[in-house]
Amino acid sequence: MSERVLLIDDEQDFLDIMSERMKNRDIDVTTASSAKDAFSLVENGSYDAIILDLQMPEMDGMQALERLKALNPNLQVILLTGHATVEKGVQAIKLGATDVMEKPANIQLLVEKIKKAHAQKIILVEKETEEKIRAILGSKAW
Amino acid sequence: MSSNQDDAGTLGLNFFGSMTASISHEVKNVLAIVNENAGLLEDLALLAEKGRPLSPERLKTLAENIHRQVQRADGIIRRLNRFAHSTHEPAAATDLCEIFDFTAALVARLAAMKGVTITIVNQHPVPMKVRPFVLENLLWICLKNLFAVTQGNQTVALATEDLGDQVVITLQLGEGLPVAEIGAQTASEGQSLLAALRAELSTDPEHNLIRLQMPHMQDQ
Repeated sequence: MSERVLLIDDEQDFLDIMSERMKNRDIDVTTASSAKDAFSLVENGSYDAIILDLQMPEMDGMQALERLKALNPNLQVILLTGHATVEKGVQAIKLGATDVMEKPANIQLLVEKIKKAHAQKIILVEKETEEKIRAILGSKAW
Repeated sequence: MSSNQDDAGTLGLNFFGSMTASISHEVKNVLAIVNENAGLLEDLALLAEKGRPLSPERLKTLAENIHRQVQRADGIIRRLNRFAHSTHEPAAATDLCEIFDFTAALVARLAAMKGVTITIVNQHPVPMKVRPFVLENLLWICLKNLFAVTQGNQTVALATEDLGDQVVITLQLGEGLPVAEIGAQTASEGQSLLAALRAELSTDPEHNLIRLQMPHMQDQ
């Protein structure tokens, strides 16, 4: 089963080429050139991983990350940044990012991180489902 | 060295730091695109080895992409070079519109991040003897203070008027912005630059204007 990825970046050239490279690796990619577009895609679709540029017009990646995690806490968000600093990395992880990568990115490494994010998402969704079932079972007088 | 010169030096260093940080991000973005284009060429070569036909048109498009990004990087580096040299350039006769154009290009990425577009109103040159770096620094402080309060989707129009022995620079801001606050913050922060330019800053909140008036001939 191929991973579903949402790639968010304001550089259209980057989106075009990166999505083609990911498709060549059997990843199902959707692109968004702004955080605003990404929010509506996330509200209406399901993604195994989100690749998010840290610096974008109008809303930066950290704000976008916060909002994405508020929409769905199980989302696996990998941040891509021009300059990764320890400070930014710590802030991103605190806000719930799965990982932080520096641009230019190594595609092999990125694909590995996407696969890891997918596996993590499955665990979280299964755990959530289990908790829901447990809650339903606990609330019924059998 | 006077306290004003010290302050202007610190402001200049902050300005230089902000611009070079932004430029390095721009260069990184270009490198990321070149990197992905090179990577895609590798992917296509590997697929060709496995028997998938290689389209010459596709290769041409990728080569064009790389050329375009190299040209973009060249423009960014030229701008950085001009900016770096401007730090030690003495006051000289300069066209104010050229300073506006250069400042707008320099801060374009940071403006775009905040959803701000900078336009230049003047069509004709307005010569002035000035140290470009000092004026660019003052304009940056003003724009930075605008970026700090804008909610995006704003346009700033830069214009200048020659009054003979004085010149007036106006920044026309969009509706609903705290013009007086932006002006006051700029006047306080950029005090040493205003002194160096012998400029006065005033605001006209009713018309969303920030005005900078200064002598035509600068000797700083």
